[in-house]
Amino acid sequence: MSTFPLPRSDGGARFPGFDAASQVKHWDTATASVVMARLGRPQDIRFFTPAQEAAAGALFNQLLDQHREPRVPVVSIVDARLAAQQTDGWHYEDMPTDAQAWARTLAALDEDAGLRCGTLFATASLNEQARLLQSIQNLGKDMWHGMPAQQVWSLWTRYACTAFYSHPWAWNEIGFAGPAYPRGYKNMGVDALEPFEVPDANPGDDPIRTKAEPS
Amino acid sequence: MSAVRDRNESAWLLPAGTGTNHGLRELMRHFADDDEVDIVIVGAGAGGSTLLQRLARAGWRAVALDAGPFWDPERDWVSDEAGSHHLYWTDPRVIAGTDPVPLGSNNSGRGVGGSMVHYAGYVPRFHPSDFRTQTLDGVGADWPLQYQDLKHYYQDIEEELPVAGEHWPWGDPHSYPHRPHPVSGNGELFQRGALAAGITTKVGPVAIANGRFGNRPHCIYRGFCLQGCKVNAKASPLITHIPDALAHGAEVRADSMVTRIAIDQRTGQATGVHYMRGGVAHFQRARMVAVAGYSIETPRLLLNSDSPRFPDGLCNDFDQVGRYLMVQGAPQTAGRFDAEVRMWKGPPPEVSSEEFYETDPTKPYKRGFSIQTVSPLPITWAEHVMAQGHWGAGLRNYMSDYVHWACLGALCEFLPHAENRVTLAQEEDRHGLPVARFSYSQGENDRALMKAAQEQMELILTAAGAAEVITIDRYAHLVGGARMAKRQEEGVVDANCRSFAVENLLITDGSVLPTQGSANPALTIMAVAARAADRLLISGRANRRI
Repeated sequence: MSTFPLPRSDGGARFPGFDAASQVKHWDTATASVVMARLGRPQDIRFFTPAQEAAAGALFNQLLDQHREPRVPVVSIVDARLAAQQTDGWHYEDMPTDAQAWARTLAALDEDAGLRCGTLFATASLNEQARLLQSIQNLGKDMWHGMPAQQVWSLWTRYACTAFYSHPWAWNEIGFAGPAYPRGYKNMGVDALEPFEVPDANPGDDPIRTKAEPS
Repeated sequence: MSAVRDRNESAWLLPAGTGTNHGLRELMRHFADDDEVDIVIVGAGAGGSTLLQRLARAGWRAVALDAGPFWDPERDWVSDEAGSHHLYWTDPRVIAGTDPVPLGSNNSGRGVGGSMVHYAGYVPRFHPSDFRTQTLDGVGADWPLQYQDLKHYYQDIEEELPVAGEHWPWGDPHSYPHRPHPVSGNGELFQRGALAAGITTKVGPVAIANGRFGNRPHCIYRGFCLQGCKVNAKASPLITHIPDALAHGAEVRADSMVTRIAIDQRTGQATGVHYMRGGVAHFQRARMVAVAGYSIETPRLLLNSDSPRFPDGLCNDFDQVGRYLMVQGAPQTAGRFDAEVRMWKGPPPEVSSEEFYETDPTKPYKRGFSIQTVSPLPITWAEHVMAQGHWGAGLRNYMSDYVHWACLGALCEFLPHAENRVTLAQEEDRHGLPVARFSYSQGENDRALMKAAQEQMELILTAAGAAEVITIDRYAHLVGGARMAKRQEEGVVDANCRSFAVENLLITDGSVLPTQGSANPALTIMAVAARAADRLLISGRANRRI
């Protein structure tokens, strides 16, 4: 599977037939083993409790618009990072460490969903989930459950995007060929493509000019 | 080239093509802990490796301890963004202040080679004005040395890395040993926009050999400079200084975290360093100690090395340790083109402009900024897109447009402020040592520079034909925290990097820089360390007991 079900109107199908992982024979062994593992069986959940897993799953589906299969297994990738304590190390003074912050923010999501929708975050409707998340993003520098909302938002989106855009399926969607060693690039310059690159089928699909609304 | 090889043979000691000289490491000299070496250096990055190589060449019995691994690029590094997390210093740290600065992947290296393993590769010199900003502009600080004192060290290091670029018209005009690299779509658009806007750009200066250099191969333009160069084309001390140091009898002891510098309470002299290796506590005896752990870990180590003689931390009699820590304001502005840019192809460092580097008397702010190509890979690019507030379907849609974007980055000279500093936090690391708390707040001049730099980048990209531009505010680089000064009341070390408080203790890393200009700091850190090595050797030759 190399193509997401993203509709053409949402930026899907821009690089028809492009499959970054098909170039694996041109990658070095160390890189290939790291990247191809992402296409293998998702790791079992070790860090998140079942309740956290549910909330995190719904959160990532929203942040990354992954509402149908096939999906990049973002929950599993983030869980593996947290279980391995593979964080950036630093944390804001007014935020707990990443592991604690994940536990606290996922519990707070369930708490808010309970108050607003009478259910857990994972079992709220997609619209209710989206509205709740938008209200948190709108808080900006204000506090949310004792934490600055913008740092919470930054924590969620950093982990979500690191997981998602490390996956070859996501690269296919954006036209990025991934690893480039030892082959390198020969054709550099504006509109200069390598034989294995696929040109954008909808080059005028500028998301700003088409005024796609942020979710 | 022969002159370079005569004083630094590193590039010829590597195997032809890619890879590591394993034999050199296997045959490496090993000193015993109770063997009093001439010098123990803490940290094998830009400053520590340069010092090690210089002193080993002069016959010193020298060992560098590094907290991280002795990298084998072919095995340890990958051509992948998320898979390169282990290149960064990710031990716990606390960030605070009104403008807290994220660390980790942004600016903190780990292992032999230090942050230069994952720096972009830009190696501009500082301008002569950078050493006298207080005198010239009434801001920042004057260094206890001048540009002329560093000039020939700049030239030496530029040959050793080596540096490729066009003739440089800014600061002290100079040329580079290697011709400029060809540029990719990203660099092409910067040049096109700048030309239309009447702004001068130049290709370089990058520490990537253009052509073979010794046994190091030509760059393959794969664009993963920030993930560690597997090719051995981009310079880092791991391949530019460590091989020559080993060949001259130096030891590099990796995976060794220095926890404390020991001071003889009677003489006030340093006697060696305590370190942890494989969970075991060791003490390396040494006649001299040089600290080169960079702007966060160097102050932290000094503060953690308190004793009855230094109750507030080593070398901290005048409350100078950890202060005047600087970052550069580094906004990045991207522009959207109907053509395909594919900015990830080619090295991120390609083209720069120092047109706005100096103080412009017509502007309300002092000092300035430089502009350079940057080319974020997908995960980093997603941060740009999210900074605009996009998520969900909006994020995916925006990201699908990646091939059409070009990106520039600015480096704004943020001024040194005493309150921007490292102190010790309550939190402890796995060795039970207090971790660093780094507090950072911008000043008015800093904010004005960020805004001005963004406006120029928007102007350039629009002039190149961009239909839309977006900007993300961020920071880059670290310097200061144990600065050099004329007097002990104003800094931690003198112009020769020797600490005021302890005669046989040096600091030879970016933390000694009193100002930062709008230049990437790596070259200046190496030049300052090379000069410190020279001064040390000269003072030794004069038969003074060091």
